[in-house]
This record gives sequence, C-alpha cells and structure tokens, in this order.
Amino acid sequence: MGKGTGILVVAEVGEDGLRTGSLELLTVGRSLAEAMGGELTVVVPGAEVVEAARTVAASGADRVLVVDDERLASFTSGAWTAVVVHAVAETNPAALLIPGTTSGRDYAPRLAARLRLGLAADCVDLAVEDGALVATRPILGGRVQTVVRFEGDGPWIATVRPGSFERAKPTGEEAEIVSLTVELGDDDLKVRVVETLHEDTGGKRLDNAERIVAGGRGLKEPDRFNLVEDLARALNASVGASRAVVDAGWRPHHEQVGQTGQTVAPRLYVAVGISGAVQHLVGMQGADYIVAINRDPDAPIFKIASFGIVGDLFEVVPAVIEEINAARA
Amino acid sequence: MRIVVLIKQVPDMNTVKIDRATGKPTLDGQRVVSSFDEYAIEAGLRLKEQHEGEVTVICAGPPSVKDAITRALAMGVDNAVQIALPNANDIDTLTLATVLVVEIGKLEPDVVLTGQNSDDYQTGHLGPQLAELLGIPHLSSVTRIDGGDSEFSVQRDTEDGKQVVTVSTPLLLMAMTGLNEPRLPSIKGMMAAKRKPVEQVTADLPSAAPSLSWSEPFVPERTVTGTVVQGVAASEAATQLVTWLKEQKLL
Ligand SMILES: Cc1cc2nc3c(=O)[nH]c(=O)nc-3n(C[C@H](O)[C@H](O)[C@H](O)COP(=O)(O)OP(=O)(O)OC[C@H]3O[C@@H](n4cnc5c(N)ncnc54)[C@H](O)[C@@H]3O)c2cc1C
Ligand SMILES: Nc1ncnc2c1ncn2[C@@H]1O[C@H](COP(=O)(O)O)[C@@H](O)[C@H]1O
Repeated sequence: MGKGTGILVVAEVGEDGLRTGSLELLTVGRSLAEAMGGELTVVVPGAEVVEAARTVAASGADRVLVVDDERLASFTSGAWTAVVVHAVAETNPAALLIPGTTSGRDYAPRLAARLRLGLAADCVDLAVEDGALVATRPILGGRVQTVVRFEGDGPWIATVRPGSFERAKPTGEEAEIVSLTVELGDDDLKVRVVETLHEDTGGKRLDNAERIVAGGRGLKEPDRFNLVEDLARALNASVGASRAVVDAGWRPHHEQVGQTGQTVAPRLYVAVGISGAVQHLVGMQGADYIVAINRDPDAPIFKIASFGIVGDLFEVVPAVIEEINAARA
Repeated sequence: MRIVVLIKQVPDMNTVKIDRATGKPTLDGQRVVSSFDEYAIEAGLRLKEQHEGEVTVICAGPPSVKDAITRALAMGVDNAVQIALPNANDIDTLTLATVLVVEIGKLEPDVVLTGQNSDDYQTGHLGPQLAELLGIPHLSSVTRIDGGDSEFSVQRDTEDGKQVVTVSTPLLLMAMTGLNEPRLPSIKGMMAAKRKPVEQVTADLPSAAPSLSWSEPFVPERTVTGTVVQGVAASEAATQLVTWLKEQKLL
C-alpha cells in the first residue's frame, strides 16, 4: 500500500449515541494530523448513525465516512474488522486511532493481524517524533508505563484509553459526510447477536457520566450503600462501585469501575470507602477532579485525590450531604 | 471436544515494587499464572467435564514457565506444550501469535481459550490475533459459556450491558472475571501432574522486521497534588469540601 498520509479515527456509537471517547480521538487525531501532515478522516460504523456522524462532522473532522448497515446494529468483531479494513484501504492513513473500549480492544488486534500491522494497546498519550508515531501505554496494572515506537510504513494503529484526551468541541464548520458501503460476507458474520441484557434499568450509565459517586467496602453493609446513593443524588451524579462490593453482590457489575469494569472519565469522581487499588485507579484516574473520603490516611486513593478527607465516612458523608443542601437552599 | 488453553507466566502483581530511586519496577519476585488465564483453564476443564475430550495448555517463555504449566496440569489439564522463548515480552504480540499458532493448529482444537489480557503487558492482543491467524471467530470479555457440542451461547461484557451471542465451533474465547471461580490444585492433582506429558518445542521466530519497539518499563512522575483534610470534625471537613466544590465550579 505504501506509506500513507493523514489520520483515520474510528468513532463508536453505543446504545445511547456517540461515545465520548470518539470526540477525544478527534482532539488527538487533529493534533497528530497537524504534526504529520494530511487530513483527519473519521469513519462511523453502525446502524442509524447519521446523528452521530453529524456531531463528528461538526467537531473538527475534515471528512466523515458513514457505514450505516443494519447488520452493524450490535457489535461483532468480524463485521467491524471488515468495515475498518475497508476504510483503511479507502483512506491509506499514516495512523489509525481506535477507541480503547471493549469493542475497540476486541477488533483492533484482529484487524492488525489481518493487515500485518503494528498495534499499541490502550494508549494514554500519542506524539510524533522524527515523523513516527510514539505511544505511551500503562502496563503492570497501571503503575508503570512503556513507550512504544512504531517503525516501517504503517498504517500505525493505536487503541486509546477513554479519558486520555479532552473532548473535541463544535468548530462551527461542517465536514463533508460520505456514505460508504462495505460488503460483508458469511466469514465476517459468524457470530450472531441474540440480545443485549441490561441488568438494571434504574441506574444511570457510567461511561458518559459527568459526575460519579462510587462506594467501596468501607460502606460495610449493602444497606449502608444508601449513603452513596444519597450523595450521588445531592450532586446529581451516577453511582459507581469498586469490585469488592460488586463481587460481594451489593451492586450490579455495570456499576463497577476499574480494570475489569468500566473506564470512566467524569468531571467529578467521588470515592467513598474505596482504598484505591491499582485495578480501581486505572478505571477512574482520567477524572478531572477526584474527591476521596477514607479513614485511612495511607490509602492509595489519596495519592491521586484532588481533595481528600481523612475521616469516618458514616459521619463525613451525611455532613457533606447536609452542607450541599444548605448551599443549594 | 479438543480444547486448547493458552497461559502466560507473569510476575505476581502483589510482589511488584517500585524502586523510587531508579523509577523502575522490580519484576524478579515470584512468578505465577496470569490471573485471567486461571479463568480460561477453569473454563476448559468445565467444557471437558460437560462434553468429554481433552484439554491441552500451551505456554511460551523461559524455562521457569514449567511452574505455570505444572499448576495447570495439577488443576486437571491433560497435557501441555512448552515453547522455549527467552522472553515473551521482547517480541510483539503478532510475532508471538505467529509462533503459537503453529502449535495450536497441530492440535486442531474445537475451542481455544485465552485470558482477556495478561497481567503484565496487558495488551489483550493475543486472543483476537490468534483467532485471525487460525481463521476462526473470537469473543472477548466472556463471562458465561453455555451450550451444546458445536453451537455455543456466550455472554460478554460490553458498555451497553451483557451481549448474548451464538457461535459455532471452532472458536476462540477470551476469559474475563466473573466467568467462573477457578479451582485450586488438589494434592492428588499435584501428584498426577508430575506424570502428565509436556511436549518441549523450540520457537522459530520469523525474521521479518518488527513494526514496533518499546522502552523499558518506567514509573511516570506524579503531577497531581491535592488538598487533604485530616483531624477535623466531620462538619468542618464537609464545609471545606463544599467550598472547594464551589471554587472548582462543581456545585
Ligand atoms: C485481575 C484483577 C482485576 C481487578 N479489577 C478491579 C476493578 O475493575 N475494579 C476494582 O475496583 N477493583 C478491581 N480489582 C480488585 C482490587 O484489587 C481491590 O481489591 C478492590 O478495588 C478493593 O475494593 P475497595 O476499595 O472497595 O475495598 P478495600 O480495599 O477493602 O478498601 C476499603 C476502604 O474503605 C476504608 N474504610 C473502611 N471503613 C471506613 C469508614 N468507616 N470510613 C471511611 N473509610 C473506611 C478503608 O480504609 C479502605 O481503604 C481487581 C483485582 C484483580 C486481581
Ligand atoms: N507467552 C505466552 N504463552 C502462551 N499464551 C500466552 C502468552 N502470552 C499471552 N498468552 C495468552 O494471551 C492472553 C492475552 O495476553 P496479552 O495479549 O499479552 O494481553 C493471555 O491471557 C494468555 O492466554
């Protein structure tokens, strides 16, 4: 294919619309396109994704390719690999950026194997050095990093951890939206999606949440979790949980934040009775502001907290709720 | 049913310490089976219990990986292939997949199991890359496996909820927490493990130029330093927090 130019970003659309990680990729994609030269193209695969494509087109893309196909209504690795392979052939980019979501992390390696290309997983920073892409990624549970350098002609591929970059804002301009048809064969559709189960309909979703109040084992008993719910209500936030309390069956899995749960990047994250194990931190350290309430001054959560309170959560949380309500009144 | 489980030996994450002077992690502590791979082994054993057949583990790495293989055999795996490789973290995942796929292919498996990702390098690449090279479908974040001999119903974790899919063999499944509770090796299992066959193989590394290289692990410098309120009454701490929230325009 020869060395390509420009950046290709894959946008992701979930059940509740464009995933914000897509807008983060527009930000870093734009700066890489400027550093390396060439256009920023965004491909939007899915079913009924016109609205998402418009948002992307208004947020700094030079060109938007839409692959709207009812067989893309729910994610499957085979179909997504075929679509993105097609988009790569169509654009021949220097680099391809994919959201580091469960889907992105699922098909990116398959795509890299099909095209025999280098792939860096779950990157938190991307830069250009001597014309080549350089990616920083956490390893060993997140305390340690490694810097990956791409060689050869590329395209170079990276999955990017949600929350690593600012979200792109509307620019006032609208990029051209082009519709792309991709042939999908039996080999691309070996997995049949039956349904997607939603464990709990009451709770708000975490991945796009602006504010999250999360609780951990410090709450002691499932019943006491109402303190977290009350604080979340006072702050107009969604409820999250550590794995310890999800494993104990106090909270549903979709509320779990961390390595084996959701990666979240809200503006505000309040950790109540959570120690801050690395596997938890990797899921929430992208938050703009982190508040920690814990009685142990040495709890690791305080190392990344913007505001920490060392104290008994059963006293502190009710006091905070009262204070917020007083401030609002 | 022919079942192949891929396992990696990694440093025990609880023994990894950061040497603040050099900014480097110490990785020479105890070595264990990567945590998700234990779920993969357990899933393989349960498939065998339901459908009969044979479970083989494959592990590539330095001589020390023998211990990881022994643990899998002691849990109940039937036999193993040990691929000699000085350091599995020195080659990129696609190159490693190319090496592993040769041995997996020989076994003609119905089901291949891997971990969702390894504890140390955490790429999560190997599963999908092996599946692509084998020409079979894969499913990641697998939390439940039900099913018959050639048709499986599988649940996977996604941001939207639990996705339920059906798929036929041969296929590759990437094991996630929540899939099962891995069994501990029994004394009897440990004795039996000594007599189970372990095939020794040397890897033929492809000579193609790598598409990536990476630095030694390092510890990033911390940038955030926050306010910590300690030793004051709950009401006073609450007042300070609410003042701070207002200052940051979070309230
Ligand atoms: C492979 C793997 C993957 C993992 N993935 C995840 C993941 O995705 N998400 C996740 O969260 N974890 C994950 N973990 C688990 C993680 O290592 C921790 O065990 C877990 O995060 C601990 O949860 P916790 O902070 O609620 O509990 P604990 O570590 O028990 O912490 C409880 C905290 O509450 C404080 N506390 C107790 N009482 C009070 C009180 N009255 N007032 C104030 N504070 C109090 C204590 O000081 C303590 O710091 C994973 C582990 C492994 C091995
Ligand atoms: N050296 C290895 N030998 C055998 N299997 C491996 C090896 N490295 C990784 N794997 C398998 O691939 C999975 C994903 O690893 P990774 O792609 O490194 O995150 C692991 O959970 C193992 O199942």
